[in-house]
Formats: sequence, C-alpha cells, structure tokens
Amino acid sequence: MIETQNGDVFEAITVHNFSEKILEQSIHFHVMKLSGGFFLWVGSSPVLSNLAVSMSSKYDSMPLSTLVMGDPSNTAANSLAQRLAKKTKKQVYVSYSLPMTDNNFSLLVEKRIKKELELLPEHF
Amino acid sequence: MSSAQPVIKSKQTVKEVNGISTQVVCTEFSNYIFVVLTQYGKMGTLISVTPDSRSNDISTPSFSTKVLLGKDEPLTHVCAKNLATFVSQEAGNRPVLLGLALKDSSIDSIKQMKDIIKSCQVW
Repeated sequence: MIETQNGDVFEAITVHNFSEKILEQSIHFHVMKLSGGFFLWVGSSPVLSNLAVSMSSKYDSMPLSTLVMGDPSNTAANSLAQRLAKKTKKQVYVSYSLPMTDNNFSLLVEKRIKKELELLPEHF
Repeated sequence: MSSAQPVIKSKQTVKEVNGISTQVVCTEFSNYIFVVLTQYGKMGTLISVTPDSRSNDISTPSFSTKVLLGKDEPLTHVCAKNLATFVSQEAGNRPVLLGLALKDSSIDSIKQMKDIIKSCQVW
C-alpha cells in the first residue's frame, strides 16, 4: 500500500510472470497488477502485437471491450479481455501476442490464465 | 509450472515527486518499450510515441504521439513526447507505449520523472 501526502491510498503495482507448455509450445504470461485492474500479456516471444481494454458497464451484462492497438481483424485479445473483465469485475488490459489463433489453443491458454487467477488471485 | 527466466524484462520503482508518490514500471518488448508512469496506481491515458520512419536521415527523427485511450488533450502529447523521446532513442528507435496518470505535470516534475524512468532502464 502506498499513501501519498494528501492522504490518497492505493496499492503498489506488482509484476508476476509465469509460463506453461501448451501443445508442445512454451507460452509466457506477464501480469501487471494495477489499482482496480491489471495488464496481461500472453506470448511465445517478447512481442507486443496488440492491446485490448475491457471493463464492466452497468448498462450491459457483458463488459465493454475495445482494441486500442493492433490488427482489428484479430479478435483474440478483445474477447479474452472481455471474459477476464467479466470474471474479475476489474478493468483488464490484454495483449494476446500469439501467432496461432485457433480456438482450441486459445481455450487452453485461457484455461491456464483462469487457473492462475484461482491459485494466485493476489497477483491480478 | 513456472519457468525460471521470464521472457519479458521489467523494472519498477516508487519515488516521491514534489510530495506525490510516483510509480514507474518499464517493460521491454522486442518491438515496444512499455512505460507506466502513474500517481494514481492506474494505467491512465495510453499514448503511443513513435519515431517517424525516415531512413538515411542525418538529423534526429521527429516523434508522433497518438492517444490510444483516454482524454486527447495537447498537454498529454507534450508530456508524452517529453517523457518518452529519450527512451525511444536509447532503445534503438523502438516505439514507446506510455501509460500516464499524473496529478502534477509541471515542467519541474516531468524532469524528475524522466530521471525515475531512466532508473528503470530495461532497454
């Protein structure tokens, strides 16, 4: 926790890394916990290919999501951000920087993230 | 299962700037340097700072700033350019993605923040 001179209190940013072999490929995860949300990067090599932002809205049961960087025809980052925002009720930034986009693979990646969310929720 | 070496390198610090607690996190990607500079603990406004690609130019390149998310006001562009230009130049002209959430954007504070960013050098 950080308290500023004018009395504002907010949590310190923390960074958490983990990796997993998914279908014979090493997939890396990088989480930056922010106040009220987190940034998650997923990739096999250290490239930042896109960035989506999602947050809940009181007007819709599904969180709003938008791609702020990258190829808009690739919806992987957007939909992952949206589902994580729904699950965590937080503001979520996602960079899904994997070249493979098949659904089965994305599902396994998402499963791995959800496992980490359950095991170590303090990092998100 | 976690591997020992993360592929993403990042450095972070907390410093006071004119009495305001200021956090910096720098993260290195092969095609981007990602800098979060915040006095709110949040990402704030997202800005990309990109060197204009003009090859075989002797003069130093100019930089384009684009607000990707948040309030698009002139001061944001000024601060972003001021804070991120040196990062890009030192990182071999890589573009910089900057998350900016400032309570104080006075020139004196910006100067101090540049030094804090420098202390989190990952490039």
